[in-house]
Amino acid sequence: MITPVDAPGGEPSTLPTGTLHAATSPAITADHLARSFGTVHALVDVSLRVERGTVCALLGRNGAGKTTTVRILTTLLPADAGRAQVSGFDVASQAPEVRTRIGVTGQTATMDELLTGAENLETIGRFCHLGAAVSGRRATALLEQFDLTAAARQLVKHYSGGMRRRLDLAASLIADPEVLFLDEPTTGLDPVSRAEMWTSIRGLVAGGTTVLLTTQYLDEADRLADTIVVVDRGLVVAEGTPEQLKASIGRPFVRVTLPEPDPAILEKVRRLLGEEAEVSGRSVSAPAPHGLNTLEEVVEQLRGLGVAVHEVGLEHPSLDEVFSTVTDHSAHRVEQPVSPAGAA
Amino acid sequence: MSAAAVPTQGGLRAGLLDAYTATRRFLIRGMRQPDVIFGSILIPVIFVVLFGYVFGSSIRLPGGGNYRSYLMPGLFAMTILFSSNNVAVAVATDMSEGVVDRFRTLPIARSAIVIGRSLSSLILGIPVLAVMIVCGLAVGWHPEDGLGNAVLAFLLFELFGFAIGWLGVLVGLLAGGAQAADVIISIPTFLLGFISSVFVDPALMPAWLRVIAYWNPMSAVVQAGRQLFGNTIGPPPAGVWSLDHPIVTTVGLAMIIIIVVAPICVRLYSHSTR
Repeated sequence: MITPVDAPGGEPSTLPTGTLHAATSPAITADHLARSFGTVHALVDVSLRVERGTVCALLGRNGAGKTTTVRILTTLLPADAGRAQVSGFDVASQAPEVRTRIGVTGQTATMDELLTGAENLETIGRFCHLGAAVSGRRATALLEQFDLTAAARQLVKHYSGGMRRRLDLAASLIADPEVLFLDEPTTGLDPVSRAEMWTSIRGLVAGGTTVLLTTQYLDEADRLADTIVVVDRGLVVAEGTPEQLKASIGRPFVRVTLPEPDPAILEKVRRLLGEEAEVSGRSVSAPAPHGLNTLEEVVEQLRGLGVAVHEVGLEHPSLDEVFSTVTDHSAHRVEQPVSPAGAA
Repeated sequence: MSAAAVPTQGGLRAGLLDAYTATRRFLIRGMRQPDVIFGSILIPVIFVVLFGYVFGSSIRLPGGGNYRSYLMPGLFAMTILFSSNNVAVAVATDMSEGVVDRFRTLPIARSAIVIGRSLSSLILGIPVLAVMIVCGLAVGWHPEDGLGNAVLAFLLFELFGFAIGWLGVLVGLLAGGAQAADVIISIPTFLLGFISSVFVDPALMPAWLRVIAYWNPMSAVVQAGRQLFGNTIGPPPAGVWSLDHPIVTTVGLAMIIIIVVAPICVRLYSHSTR
């Protein structure tokens, strides 16, 4: 079910006080993270938990707090309040331990334009203390895996946008990280490159890597993630599996489309479908509380009415609708005191 | 998980390896920027022609010595001083790109990247200095106090260059961007370079400027070079300690800059957020 976060701090903390080194600890736990930049409250209260071997999508609009969350979890930015552990290590007090276990691909390209793809990967490998020989072997394997072998000896400045992203992703994987952070991995990519990126990410997940990715694209979250955490204005406004999120908002509805937008017939159909029916263009839609059974009833009744129909169908709400519903919610909620600190 | 899963970290050995890797990266980068290399070689060569011949033809030294012999140690030091510009611009460029975040999420020694930057700048400066030496020999300059002292002079210049490189790193870290870094570092390097004994004898300057030029650390660096090369024109002015003890001054100054500035750079780098 959908879990609206009504009262931050209301849930008892389940975080262990000591450090969990066991492989069974969650890959990521974040507990009431907050971070402000001057008067801008980038994060008000974000808690999340990502189990090992799963993909979690942090979904939100620009400025929702996605990147700030990732920067805190990847040791790049200290939080003002709250705490977080990655692979059982505290991101603030055990940053070096965290850094040996994570891979990070940010929004901006981080590969050196004046180095070749292979040199870039080898350099990152050496920085991860793999040694020259292992770094070279890993680089070769990753270039192969990401379809960059042909470009391995070319300077990165000659790479396309999609190739750069794939190289960046490959660089994040050189030391075989336990947890991979991908900050908007496909933003700005053309559809073909995006599809390639998705394939690459799915491949990693199949290999058992835990992934936290941020995205503003619902279809991306829907396709890649096991769980989705929706953030808006620095708050978690909803979380669950894609199916749970859709089901919680979404009652399915039935849509009847006519061949012509004839007002008289539209009105007839509207009355037939009940009080909640709405006319839009040449179609009428209404909630279908009993799903396929409702659809069946509607088809029967339309037949009885003797109206020529272009199409009748049952539709499910898209994640887009879920997203706008929960984020509108939060827009409404921000007017009330939402956090103990009253930060928003 | 593969054998590569848990990289080792920490320790002096890892720190040195990190610094080596960073230096290597910056060296590869540096060698692939022919425009920068060309510029950093061309400008000093232009200076040799400009000051050695265009202005130099009208400059008479107090003792009647060879002006180009007097000039060359100054130009060596000047070349090294100006190399800090490239460092500042390169660091500022790095800081404005995503690559900083990448490095800061890696398990590397915090000092590795900035050490790599200043070491690579030192190494990339060697061929430039070599070109300058050839130029100097071509225009009639030569060490007059033995090869050993000449080598010492160049080592002294390189130590000075290493220290100046750290100042370049500092400016690069503090400046808001590459252009800002360029402007911020160009002004002091120009003033330090020109209001000094690099090109002319400060004895002929107006009194107030003469005091600045005498006490300018660049004058001490150049004086140290001239002394070791045996290219001096009479004894240094009385009462200016730094010119009476130019080698001690240069070494001391370089050490102070390195000891003070390097840790600041490491701190700034590890705590920077874009």
